[in-house]
Amino acid sequence: MSRSRQVVFIAVAVVGLGSLVGVGAFFLDPARAAVGPLPAEGLLLPADSRFVVGLDVKRFTASPFYQKFRSQARPDALRELEERTGLNPERDVDQVLIAGQATKGAGPGLAVVLGSFDTYKLGQSIETGKQKAAGRNFQGFTEFVFNEGGPEAMAVAFIDRQALLIGRQAAVEAALQGRASGAAPLRTNATLMALLERVKPGSTFWMVGDQSLLQNLPGTVPSPAGNGAAIELPALRSLIVTGDLEPVVSLAITGDAADPAAAKNLANIVSGFVSLVALQASQKPELKDLAQAVSVATDQSRVLVNARVPYEVLEALQPKREAIKPPALAP
Amino acid sequence: MSAQAVPASRDTTRPLPFLAAVRGVFRLALEGMLWSRRSVLMAILLGLPIAFALLYRGLPIAHLPAKITGFDLYAVIIARYYVRNLLPLAALFYATSLIADEVEGRTLTYLLTRPLPRPAILAGKFAAYVTTTLAMTLPSVVITFFLLATAPGASGIGAEVPELFRDMGVVALTLVAYGGLFTLMGVLLRRPVIPGLLFLFVWELIVNLPGYLPRFTLTAWLRSLLHHQPAEEGLGGLLATQILPAGEALAVLLGTSALFLALSFWIFAQREYVLEQ
Repeated sequence: MSRSRQVVFIAVAVVGLGSLVGVGAFFLDPARAAVGPLPAEGLLLPADSRFVVGLDVKRFTASPFYQKFRSQARPDALRELEERTGLNPERDVDQVLIAGQATKGAGPGLAVVLGSFDTYKLGQSIETGKQKAAGRNFQGFTEFVFNEGGPEAMAVAFIDRQALLIGRQAAVEAALQGRASGAAPLRTNATLMALLERVKPGSTFWMVGDQSLLQNLPGTVPSPAGNGAAIELPALRSLIVTGDLEPVVSLAITGDAADPAAAKNLANIVSGFVSLVALQASQKPELKDLAQAVSVATDQSRVLVNARVPYEVLEALQPKREAIKPPALAP
Repeated sequence: MSAQAVPASRDTTRPLPFLAAVRGVFRLALEGMLWSRRSVLMAILLGLPIAFALLYRGLPIAHLPAKITGFDLYAVIIARYYVRNLLPLAALFYATSLIADEVEGRTLTYLLTRPLPRPAILAGKFAAYVTTTLAMTLPSVVITFFLLATAPGASGIGAEVPELFRDMGVVALTLVAYGGLFTLMGVLLRRPVIPGLLFLFVWELIVNLPGYLPRFTLTAWLRSLLHHQPAEEGLGGLLATQILPAGEALAVLLGTSALFLALSFWIFAQREYVLEQ
């Protein structure tokens, strides 16, 4: 065998071996069912979900955004989670996935919380917490139900030490049943699956929603002319939002319109509003930087809005706190 | 005395069959291509990500909850280092020299005076180029993937494996597409390297512009086939990255590669090369 053939043979062997290991990992790794940024556990979310939101908690808490706005910007959902379960999201949680219906009266969605949990301590804290809930076994999983029997009974269930389910009791139990039978309900939602595959992996937060999510949005907005006229907003078929918080706050929004003309129309409306913000720069100079940070483009029937806002601009946009004046001395 | 059967000798007045000629040129070209200074330099450059991945694995930071994961780094290496920069450069240096080196070294006459169909010479050399570059690139991609993707632990790697196969496909397509273009430049131009560099690092920059212009670059189509879209910094980051439909991208890349190669074969078959004395 010539030297060249040996080199080619070694290269083929390395690639072949790597491919075999890869294929083996693909079929043996339980995370193989992941779609886009959604891990395997996310497929337990309900099939009739109209939107799915994901938050990479580790990236979020490590970001300058969280450090700067920690006191004001801590999400209520995480605070509520900590109050109810004794869980420290900063320490224990890696990722939060939320699916919902986006219709009036649908109630809170179902959340999958991924991380590393001490299920014994967590169960104890739930049982002895303010809203006592007794643990029980449901399809082989530990479940805690709050307000059981009530119309809005909520439940927390441990899938394992790395995953929790939180939401309405019915939704949690449906997901647990799916888990027990090896089903992946969300996979049957072809619309959301297609949208999830388009999400940029590795984002700090992301959201996908189908057209029913957008039905609640106003169909018209007031005209900038201010004469009482209204601009009709072209309908969107779906929406994908991804964002990162480092090194700047960046947001990418992709909306699928009905056709290229509708996309262009919507892009023009958004551009118009960005221009309006820029016009306010004479009164508030930081608005000029904000307007410059936003770009709007179209790609066939898609509207792409990108924003990259430096932290300095965000800080400048914060309302100025008045200096604390010492109390006036009595004469 | 026993009469031994004399093997029927080949009619040397007729050229070799196309495939046999391609195989012969391929073997000859592969030997010359793999064991060249160019290949040593390329092997070092293509192997750099492995060294980087080993360094990353060795650093304690790889085992901490990181803001950027090992897989994120792998994504940057594939999208920015390989597909955007190094592989087009490797294609430029190898593919432009397929014929240019023979002209420069005044050895083209020896090839052209053999009973070989001219397209078979170019086909054999192009096959040797693809084999050489793939033999250096794909193992590097596979090793880098496993080193970086498993840095925090092997759990979850199964979900990333489809990306590896996709990346290997895009890497191969990058080498074929740019290889086709630079082969055309090599048979068309006497000094193809400078125009090739201008194409790569000036013309291809329009990929960052909005509108229809990015469609006139190979990068835009190749980038659209990758799932990795690392954040752009600087001026490029201000503009939205255009992601073109994957099916369309595949068709365009295969079509342009075939077109470039067909033109190269036709020009090489027609052209009379006058060697400097």
